[in-house]
Order: sequence, then C-alpha cells, then structure tokens
Amino acid sequence: MSPSREEEFRLSAERGDTPLLPTERVWGFWGFAYANSALAVATWVFLIGGATALFVGPLQGIAAIIIGNIIGVVLAASSTCVPCGKYGVEQFTFLRSMFGINGSRLVHILSVVILTMGWLAVLGLMCGRALDNLQTLVQQRPADNNDWLVTAGALLAITLAALVAMRGPDMIRRLSAVIAPSLILIMLALMYFISQRYSLSELLAMPPLQPPFGDQRINFMIAVEINIAAGFSWWPYIGNLSRLCSNQRTAFWPNLVGIFGAASLGEIVSLFAASTLGSSDPTAWMRLAGGLGFGVIALSFLALANLTGMVNILYTAVIGLRQLAGERLRRVPWGLLIGLFCVIPVAIVLCFPGIYDGFFIFLVWTSALNSALAGIGIADYFFLRQQRLNLRHLYAAQARSPLRFCKGFNPIALLALAAGFAIYVVVFNPQTLANTTFFTFATASLPSCLLAGLVHYGLSRVLATRLGWGSYPQGNERTIEAAGLGAKD
Amino acid sequence: MNSQVDEARAQDLERRIRAYEELERRAHWPGALSVRDVVALCLLTLVMVAGAYLLGGQP
Repeated sequence: MSPSREEEFRLSAERGDTPLLPTERVWGFWGFAYANSALAVATWVFLIGGATALFVGPLQGIAAIIIGNIIGVVLAASSTCVPCGKYGVEQFTFLRSMFGINGSRLVHILSVVILTMGWLAVLGLMCGRALDNLQTLVQQRPADNNDWLVTAGALLAITLAALVAMRGPDMIRRLSAVIAPSLILIMLALMYFISQRYSLSELLAMPPLQPPFGDQRINFMIAVEINIAAGFSWWPYIGNLSRLCSNQRTAFWPNLVGIFGAASLGEIVSLFAASTLGSSDPTAWMRLAGGLGFGVIALSFLALANLTGMVNILYTAVIGLRQLAGERLRRVPWGLLIGLFCVIPVAIVLCFPGIYDGFFIFLVWTSALNSALAGIGIADYFFLRQQRLNLRHLYAAQARSPLRFCKGFNPIALLALAAGFAIYVVVFNPQTLANTTFFTFATASLPSCLLAGLVHYGLSRVLATRLGWGSYPQGNERTIEAAGLGAKD
Repeated sequence: MNSQVDEARAQDLERRIRAYEELERRAHWPGALSVRDVVALCLLTLVMVAGAYLLGGQP
C-alpha cells in the first residue's frame, strides 16, 4: 500500500470511520489527563459552581460537588471509555451494539445535537452578559442587565462561533490552547480576592443564595443531582477522546484527574465566588470581585472563553452529524450546514433567554437521558457481552449485520431508555424541582441508571436471544465468542 | 477507480479487525483494566462519597 493511502486510512481511522489500532493512538496517561483537564476547565464550571451555591452553602456545596462529580464521571466513563479505549472504536459506532445502527443515530441526535444546541444558547447568553457587564463597568454605571444588549451579544457570539467553525480545526486548536490556562489564572485571582476578604471559617459558614426548600436535605440532594448531571454531561464526548489513548487503563483513569479533579476544583472556586459575591451569575463576579482592571480583563477573557467553547462543541457536533447522516448530508456545503445548525440556538436565545438563569434545569434534564444511557451501556457491555465486542458486526452494512435488530433500532434498548428517563422524572422533576422522599437518599440519576440497565439486561436475556437480535453470546456460546471463533458470521 | 479505493478501504478495515481478533485470542490484553483497578475504583468512589458526606454533606 502506498504511504499516502496508508496515511489516508490512518486519518480515516482517527476520524472514527474504522477502529484505531493501539500503535496509532496518541495519548499516554498524562497526555490524556492534560487534554481532559483543559476540556473540563471551561466556562461551564463557573455556571455549575454558581448553580450549586443557589441551593447550599460552601461546606455542603463542596460535599455535593465531590459526591456528584465522582458518581457521574465514574458511571459515564465506565460505559464509554472502557469499551472505546479497549477497541479504539468511535463511540456512536460502539453504540450500534446496543441500539442498532439507526438507534445509535437517534441517540446521537438526542444526546449530542440537542445538548449542543442548548449549550450554544447558554454560552452565547453568557457571552452577551459578559459584554453587558463590561459595558456598564467601563462606563462605571451599576449593572442593569440590558436585555437588548445581552440578546445582541448572544447572537453576535453564535454568529462568530459559526464563522470560526466554518474555518476548520486549525483555528479552533490555536484558540483553545490559550483558554484553559487563562481561566485557571482567573480562578486563582478570584480565590486571591476572596481570601483577602474572608477567613476560611467565614467562607464555609456562608448561607446558600436561594434555597427553594425549607428542608436542607432536599436542597443538598438537588445540589448533588446538579453535580451528578455535570459528571454525566461528559457521556456524549469522552468515549471519542478515550479511543485516542494507548490502552484501556490510560483511557479510564485520567478522567478522574480531569473531568473529576480539575472540574471539581474549578466548581469549588466558583461556589466560593457565588456565595461571597451574592450571585450565581459568573459575569457578575468578574465585575464585583477585583475592581475595574480585573473586571475588564476577566470579562473579556470570559467572553473569549465562551466563544472558544461554543466553536469546539459546534464543530464536533456537526462533524458527528455528518458522519452519521450519510451521503445526502455530506453533500450539503459545510458552511450551510453550520449555519442551519445555529438556527435553533438563535431561536432559543430569542424566545427563551431565561435558559441562562435557569441553566441548571437544562443541565439536569440532560442527566435524565445520560444516566439511562450509561446504565444501558454498562448492562450491555459488562453483563450481556462480557466485555467482548465483535468488530465485524459493528462495521457490517445494516442489511447483513446481526445488529440490525428491528429496522436498525433495538426496541429493547429504546424501551430501557424510556424507562430510565421516566423514573428520573417521577423521582425528581427537573422543571419544577418536585421530588419524592426516595430522592432525598437515592438521587434521581442512580435509580434511572439502575432501572434502565435492569430493563435492558432482563428483556435482552428473555427476548433478544429468541428473536435473534444483537447476536448476544449465551451459555457455551460465550466461551466460543470469547475465543473469537464465532467472529465471522 | 472508486471500486479500487473501496477495496483498499475494505482491506484496511479487515486488517484492523484482525489485529483486534489477534489480541482477543491472547491470554492477556495489554493495558486492560484488571480486578485491582476495579477494586481501587470502588474504594476511591466509596471513600470520596462517604468522606464528603460525613465531613460536609450532613444538614
């Protein structure tokens, strides 16, 4: 094979068309830990820390951040990084083994496309708020939350993000390289200003900003739930990062350094800032924390950091959408596709600007989906397939693949997803915060993850084998499959 | 021309799948998570959850 053809196939594997071989993977432990941390320390940690401060004071908030993030990250990484890190397969190609070829497309739309559209609107509005605060700070006027300016700033941010995403990955890489270190500097400066004004004991004794319930156990559990949602929110992305790691162990453990450790530290600083400055809005902290000079620099960086985050997620989502949707969508010009993708975020900014202040509601809704997806992933990969994937099945055309299930959808996995989602909303309604007693000791994400996993496991054992769906190993076949002898059907 | 490219692409996919089938046949998969990793992860999670709750989570 010619070297140029070999390079073309390597790039194609890197983009997710085929499995990456262990020798082609670029990240060792620290490489992935750094990339993971840089991804984690973005403007969303400010929002999550700020949202936590609404419900609990700093002492309980730190506990909620640690408990929520460790649970969310461990479950999300177990269901994605373990298989993708072992076989080097693209995450949504791996999902064919449980949802079917069309089912994995549906999951991509639900978990990546809708999530990205929501995040684009939230980050765009944060950009708008930063510009609004910047303007009033420079003019030395009190903050007035000028709706017109915030909306215009958000629309400008979405437009700029689309224009940069149209230019491709080089520009994105250049922008991203400076953002994470700048945000760490802003966090250190925030901690410095806070420590100048308050002792540690004063800090820890601060009250919550707007606890919605008289019962502190409920407020604490909502704070935990928000942070579980933050951990689970990595589910759609980390599988595809972990496949670039040299082996399974390297694909798993650095998540505890980055999206757990670095993100938790960032959220704790944000929690302190929100509690001491009396607002859950990060743009307000930058204005209030350290005077005019710090405010102008921090708000400018915050706007730029949001823009970079928006470009990153927009580019990734549209690339993924193109991969999954097939030839018809691949023929649409790249710029037009990016532009069309931004129509809904623009509509959200115009029609539902409240999504920014109620950001945690949006985040927790995503957890209702992601927790169930993680439960199904764990049940399928660890318990039904005994940690062995048949790559021939994953890459076979739908007509010939045993993973075609029912017209490309696995009804069992979709039913399990619906069951997990439903139990979540019954136990804890993200919109109204209405909750059951069960929620105060079990959270909503854990029952959702568990129920979705149990439904998927139970129905697959009973029905899938009878209907010949999914080519699950059974009894002696497990041993045969495990030995690779049944791999070529 | 296209069929040649498609054929080469199919051969490349076959090569990659075979590489993993070879690994699957071995007794030890390099860098795989072991029982020790799982035990360490469970302990770490338990310590984090229980420790954080006892130190700060109780109302």
